[in-house]
Amino acid sequence: MIDNPLKTSTRPNVMLAAFRITPAYAAAFGVMLVTVIALFTAPYVGMADNGDFFRIIYSNGLYFNLPDYDSRYFGYFVRQFGIFQYYNENSSMLVSSQSLFIKLAIFINQLIFSREVFDIRFQAAIYTLLYVMAVYLLVEAMTCRMSRKRGMLVALLAVFIFGDTGYTAYFNSFFGESVVMVMMLLLFASWLLLCRNRYNDFVMLAVFLVSTLILTTSKQQNAPVGMVVSVLSVSLLWIRRDKLFRWITLLSAALMLFAGIATYLNISKEFVNINQYHAMTRGVLMQSENPELALDAFGINEQYAILKSNTYYDQYGTVDVKSDLLEREFYSRYGFVSILKYYVTHPDQLGSILDTAAKSAYTIKPAAMGNYEMSAGKAFRAQSHFFTLYSTLKEKLAPHTFGFILLWMAVVTGVCMPSFVGAVRSRDYRRMQRMFLIVAAMLVGLSGIVVSIIGAGDADIAKHEFLFTLSFDLVTLLTVSSAIGRGLSSGKPVPAAPPALPSKEYAALPEGVSL
Amino acid sequence: MNRGAMIILLLLLLGHLLLPAPAASAAASPAAPQHILLLYDSLAIGTGKEGNVAELQRLLAAYSTQVTLKNISGYEQGSMAAYSGVITVINNAELEITNKAYLQDSASYQGPMLNVGYHPPDRLKEALQLTTAVWHGATASLSIGGFSGIPLEVEEMPYIAASQGGRTYGGWSFEDGGVQVPYAVSSSALAYVPYLKQGDFSALAMAYVLKDWLHSSILPRMYLVLKEIYPFSDLDLLERAADRLYQSGIPFIASVRPVFGNTDFPAMKRYLAALNTVQARNGSIVVNAPAVRPPISSNDHTLRGKMNSFINVLAEGGVAPLGIAAEGYWTYDKEYSTAGMGFFDSALLYPDEEARYMERADTSAVFPSTLYSLPLELLQGISRTGRVMPELPLNAAVTIDLPEDKDALEDMMQRLDGEWFTFADYKQSAHRVSTDRYTVQSADGVIQINGKELNIDYTPQAVASDYQYQEKQATSFNKLFSVQNQFFIIVILVALLLFGGLLTIGYRLYRRKYLK
Repeated sequence: MIDNPLKTSTRPNVMLAAFRITPAYAAAFGVMLVTVIALFTAPYVGMADNGDFFRIIYSNGLYFNLPDYDSRYFGYFVRQFGIFQYYNENSSMLVSSQSLFIKLAIFINQLIFSREVFDIRFQAAIYTLLYVMAVYLLVEAMTCRMSRKRGMLVALLAVFIFGDTGYTAYFNSFFGESVVMVMMLLLFASWLLLCRNRYNDFVMLAVFLVSTLILTTSKQQNAPVGMVVSVLSVSLLWIRRDKLFRWITLLSAALMLFAGIATYLNISKEFVNINQYHAMTRGVLMQSENPELALDAFGINEQYAILKSNTYYDQYGTVDVKSDLLEREFYSRYGFVSILKYYVTHPDQLGSILDTAAKSAYTIKPAAMGNYEMSAGKAFRAQSHFFTLYSTLKEKLAPHTFGFILLWMAVVTGVCMPSFVGAVRSRDYRRMQRMFLIVAAMLVGLSGIVVSIIGAGDADIAKHEFLFTLSFDLVTLLTVSSAIGRGLSSGKPVPAAPPALPSKEYAALPEGVSL
Repeated sequence: MNRGAMIILLLLLLGHLLLPAPAASAAASPAAPQHILLLYDSLAIGTGKEGNVAELQRLLAAYSTQVTLKNISGYEQGSMAAYSGVITVINNAELEITNKAYLQDSASYQGPMLNVGYHPPDRLKEALQLTTAVWHGATASLSIGGFSGIPLEVEEMPYIAASQGGRTYGGWSFEDGGVQVPYAVSSSALAYVPYLKQGDFSALAMAYVLKDWLHSSILPRMYLVLKEIYPFSDLDLLERAADRLYQSGIPFIASVRPVFGNTDFPAMKRYLAALNTVQARNGSIVVNAPAVRPPISSNDHTLRGKMNSFINVLAEGGVAPLGIAAEGYWTYDKEYSTAGMGFFDSALLYPDEEARYMERADTSAVFPSTLYSLPLELLQGISRTGRVMPELPLNAAVTIDLPEDKDALEDMMQRLDGEWFTFADYKQSAHRVSTDRYTVQSADGVIQINGKELNIDYTPQAVASDYQYQEKQATSFNKLFSVQNQFFIIVILVALLLFGGLLTIGYRLYRRKYLK
């Protein structure tokens, strides 16, 4: 039923000691090697708790079993936690797909290690395994029509970027970013593999659907991901002509849309209040030249200007952030839409806050959280610098303005446009997918910025923009890999998969041609 | 007298002159507060008695006693002797006390003992020939002091069925009216109060018993406290409320919420102006404790700096805070009681709404002047022997939230007028607040800041609205760049026009050449 003629036959692979090393294998092995060294050998690299862990771990049956856990917040990574031995009354604190991985990790931990103590490395092992698979698929998708030499260059770049411990340190933590990272890579890779007509379309569609669903439901701020991906993935309907595939694709798009809406609706009242509070105190009021006038625009008492720059988590404050007073006089006066409207009518402030957002848009691992255990003897909040060249360079060298983000988007879109126009002219729906994928990844990244800025001001922004920084890396790597493969616009159009006799044409493709 | 004897005599005289007399010194220093051991079997969480231990803690604080709170099961042998009195609260009727150390020590303890709740000890029963029973009805009427026949909702209430030889306090009258029993009974250092509930009149009845049991000599006063005053409250209404109270001759305390940032904003200036007006209308200012988030780390030690800064801002603005208002649990937290309340010698304790300890302590911090707060609703319409509100046995703060609108303000005034309260002026008594820059003191109605008398008269001043919220970045060559901008705008416009013209000419030439 599926024409999948390419396999690896179009690319000369190397036989080394009776083992065929492809760029995808090399990249996956490289990332695994670096990650294993960083996360599973002493001193273990991880992420310190910033106070968020309790919401996800208590609802999954874990608790802080260190008597001095308080003193490690932000400073030290904690490796072991207690497993509840009695009825857990916190079971409904937070609904997130992240729980699936934590529960699986606890299960394996209990089978192998202990029934009372949970070692977070079991979770890290699961994520690492999935991540390595995702990197394999990603590099395979990028290099499957490339010469080995060029493929290896792309593989090297992939290891340089995705092996960076700025990314992988999240695996040794309970931050949702670990799920986001793995699933975004799988989503991107599976869509690109569908575009490349590599592997079975149905399997890739399944990977695409599952990864999107898990990504969307992993964090509340990812609600737009499901919506963006579902809309753009409708274009996948035309890559095959058989009805079964089209129905499944349509159903998948509907499911993704539903997941996005459900995630949005599932946002708890407290999360709404936290973000709403920050959207005003760390967003509108921070950017406005006259906060009193800004408040007036929302019909809020101008005296609330005093709350400028305050955060929901301030230990001591003028007013209880959950008080009826704020509920009545403050929260009820504005929402996401009214703030969006405000920014649209005040473009100078929008530009200003987007520039504020751009300052943290290239940070992969926030400096606020330490990476070492206390027993490692490092300083409070000490950061690991093992294999972090890429994240360091990115943070230091990328121009921290929103204008650069727009320029980057324009350049990437412009570079891919000739190929897309060619695909449109030849009605090659499969080849068009690359542009849809790039646009989707950009929109997903942008949604990370816009949602966090409008929805929560600049509070915790480096972490909130993780999705952007990841999308930036994926899209940039894809663009660069295309350049390396010299296939930006010169590649022959490849027809969508069943239409016309693809196998021979594919087989005849010259070396080094990328789609 | 020989020379040696003279020298000895002179040295003795010199020593006598230089060294203070020990007896006089001891008399001059303030008496150390009594230290009470408060033991409980259960906090009665989820029952009608929940909160009665916290209520007792607040009552004891109002008598400026230091309290150490312990569960009976954690009592250690011999520790009772270190305290000036012991109070035991038994909330659970079914559980027996099994801690032998407690049973032995309490049987032999010679100091004052007060038992609350079920199972009074045998020693007490014998001394007072006490018989207890449990009232299963839903209501009972309490009379004590100048108050009579106050109906209370009760459940499974232990009461004194019979006693002899002791002093009785108040009395219960059960719903059929047939049975009259005392509320509490005492004999020398022993006392027994069978029933105590948080938030109803039984807590005030307990205050009568405690006053005697602690041998308190305070002259109780009642104060009116306006609370829930935020910088974003309706400040006009706050000033109007102050005016109305002033016109009615009612002195009051305003419990104002602190601000820890942006204190140079016009919004803060308006807040300060409103507080100045309050002060000018015979209102005294106390700083309300800040809202506290559930601590995620005990490493946050910013409270002292924040409170210090806010008190300084008030003092700079001519507002003299005289005390701190906080939930009772603040006195049982090392961080809050020192870093937050340490600036003050006067406190006003509210009931706990939600205890969010940073560093919990067993022993309370003591303040020379502490007010026990109770809401106006508790005393409103209460049945009493005369028309005037009777004096309470302790220094009390009758609290009322700042009205939300004019109608609510009128309603508040009517309620106050209707109850014939006698409110005292807070600044008449001695209070002291010290920060790194200011010392605020009050006594006999006079407030001093750093030793200078504060003139509380205040003429409202308009707050400038041209405040620069964002610092303008320093720029150079403004004029040059401005001229340059204009120059380039002209150049670009001219260039565009030129290009437009050239395009038009070119197009015409093209048409002429090829399209003919």
